[in-house]
Amino acid sequence: MTNTESLENVVLELRRGVIVLAALSQLGTEQYGYSLLKQLADQGLEVDQGTLYPLLRRLEAQGLLESVWKLEEARPRRYYVVSAEGKKLLPKLKKEWAGIVAVMNKMLA
Amino acid sequence: MNLIDRYVSEVGKHLPLVKGRKDIEKELRSTLEDMLEDRAQKSGRAADEAMEIDLLKEYGSPQEVAATYNPQPYLIGPRMFPFFLMVLKIVTLVVTIVLLVLTGVKIATMSPMAGPEFAKVIWDGLTGIVSAVIAAFGNIVLVFAILERFVPAAEFKMDEEKEWDPASLKKEPEPDEIKIWEPILAIVFTFIALSIFNYNPQLIGIYTVSGEKWSSIPVLTEAFFRWLPWINIGWIAEIILNGILLRTGRWNMSTRIFSIGIKIFQIVIGYFLLTGPSILAVTPASLRASGIFDTDAAQILGTMAQNGVRVLIGFIIFMTVIDVVKAIYKLITQSSSAKT
Repeated sequence: MTNTESLENVVLELRRGVIVLAALSQLGTEQYGYSLLKQLADQGLEVDQGTLYPLLRRLEAQGLLESVWKLEEARPRRYYVVSAEGKKLLPKLKKEWAGIVAVMNKMLA
Repeated sequence: MNLIDRYVSEVGKHLPLVKGRKDIEKELRSTLEDMLEDRAQKSGRAADEAMEIDLLKEYGSPQEVAATYNPQPYLIGPRMFPFFLMVLKIVTLVVTIVLLVLTGVKIATMSPMAGPEFAKVIWDGLTGIVSAVIAAFGNIVLVFAILERFVPAAEFKMDEEKEWDPASLKKEPEPDEIKIWEPILAIVFTFIALSIFNYNPQLIGIYTVSGEKWSSIPVLTEAFFRWLPWINIGWIAEIILNGILLRTGRWNMSTRIFSIGIKIFQIVIGYFLLTGPSILAVTPASLRASGIFDTDAAQILGTMAQNGVRVLIGFIIFMTVIDVVKAIYKLITQSSSAKT
């Protein structure tokens, strides 16, 4: 394994956990997959579509998201929104994240 | 049918057979159409086929896209893998031992053999083991791949997932532990018994010598040899059990049950040997015929031998029954302590 490959793998691992939190945080208001992807990218978090869409389905299967099909501009779109359970979980995840960031900042300073 | 439609149905073909497949296709189509519209707007012209091709190329091959929706990319996943390895090792060991025994039996029955013939038996034996192990491997993989898909994760917990207590390190060695020489001795002696009773039964006899000539009276009757195939099954099962014990180093639930099964099987055979025609060929008549003993001595010794062998069989059955009771008791206490 070359250095760039291992760097890519570590970065991938780091981002994987973050995407869940990012998606949950943005789905307080309902959005369809592609609009969420764009919104995350606008804020600086580029997520691969092959990662995001299956992730949304998994989070829905876990009960953290809810989804509904809506017909707009003659095109059906699947809208996702944080479920009641997801709403309960989100503050805990935020706190956890803040803790990790604080610890890592101190460690890396 | 436009390119996006064809692309979506191609992805659908590669999706795992899960519910929501149509839903995934529908969502993918809607996403791709959104993206295409976005691109058309940015470039300031209507979407055309070239734009579609670019988009689909970027989105990735249908196989790759379908794979991202596959929640279970493993044939045998990490939660099953340690158990899979354990079963694989045990089965490989047992298959190898059984086939080695069979090859040994073949060599014993065919002897004397010429060199090439002998080499052929060895070669057949080895290739037989290789193909049997490969077949066993395939079957185990198949079974575990099915389990992986149909046994919910919650119902399958490996031992390691139980809470581990560091205090277990300090415990005295348990009675469940096995000294390594015990199964080795058991295997060796069972092999010897197998080969003598099956291939050299003439060795079991009373030897007399008169002048230059050795002669022997057979000790075992036809009745014994009728039961021999069943006795062999018990012995081979014991060899397998000891092979497993050698590997695991301790008694556990399954080896105990296996052992109890063998013992009950042997008790049943013992019962038939005890109640059926005598297995001992040493009778007053045969002793008289040998010419060593006079009529009275032959009568007394012969009767003693006949009664003695039945007492002996009865005693062995009795001891085996005690062993079974002890093993069942251990099994019960073991499983009830495991639950608490």
